[in-house]
Amino acid sequence: MAQRTRQGLFALAVAMLAIGAWLGLSWAPPDREMGDVQRIMYVHVPSMWMALLAMTLNFACSIGYLLKKSWAFDSLAEASAEVGMLFGAVGLALGSIWARPTWGVWWTWDPRLTTAAILLVAYAGYLALRRFVEDPERRAVWAAVTGIVAFVDVPLIWYSVQWWRSIHQIQSSPKTVDPQMVLTLRWNTFAFLALGIFFIWSRYRVAQSERRHELAAPPTLPSAPQGLTASGVRL
Amino acid sequence: MMLDRVLPLLIEQLAAQYPVGAGRIQGGWGYVWASYGITWGAFAVYSLSLWLRRAHPPMPEEHQ
Repeated sequence: MAQRTRQGLFALAVAMLAIGAWLGLSWAPPDREMGDVQRIMYVHVPSMWMALLAMTLNFACSIGYLLKKSWAFDSLAEASAEVGMLFGAVGLALGSIWARPTWGVWWTWDPRLTTAAILLVAYAGYLALRRFVEDPERRAVWAAVTGIVAFVDVPLIWYSVQWWRSIHQIQSSPKTVDPQMVLTLRWNTFAFLALGIFFIWSRYRVAQSERRHELAAPPTLPSAPQGLTASGVRL
Repeated sequence: MMLDRVLPLLIEQLAAQYPVGAGRIQGGWGYVWASYGITWGAFAVYSLSLWLRRAHPPMPEEHQ
């Protein structure tokens, strides 16, 4: 049942992405000043929103793990960090491409861009930490602490355009944007959300499978109770 | 008070001088296609990586 729901979600996301691409590339009008280049917004903005959402989920799961010591939280934190990295890397690359024709440069050390780059470096460190530490319980605790510290950057990214002088525009209101542009952006956001949920769900299953293999009690030792590791962490 | 009346007139004159779209970026479809291509490509590659790493049921000897 869960497998079919997941496959259905993937099919829905792909269909929504295809329609979203048509809306963004053809149906939505060109921008008054940026012309057709502005169409990058329909993939750049949802990518960055999904990255921030995934990192927020990672933060919540990191706290959840420290409080409940549940492997489900640890696996979900790992999944959300990896998927957040994917969306963040895509969003940052698209931002750089969009910057070239509009700002004249591929990159500038603007507060919004810099904080977004810091996000990727921080979560790359988070994922590297997970690879380097072999003991699953120590890894889960260290990763949870790193996830909580790294999350500090998420509100900084959001408010960077308001707090500091930035070449990047501030958050716009649907009231000042063409309704066709608003609909296209919203459609693509839900398409990215569906795909993001599918990615996190699938990656969570992989992580849970890895935990089970790692924590399987050696045959020479008495088995831990069903669903528990030797030190009592719940699977 | 005076400014309230003068400012709209000034803006109207400037708007007539620089009509909407006068400074619009022309073309740029290469950037747009590159962006959509990178997005779809990254999603396709990540989907493939998830499929390759998909969870397998435990082997029979692992139950022993």
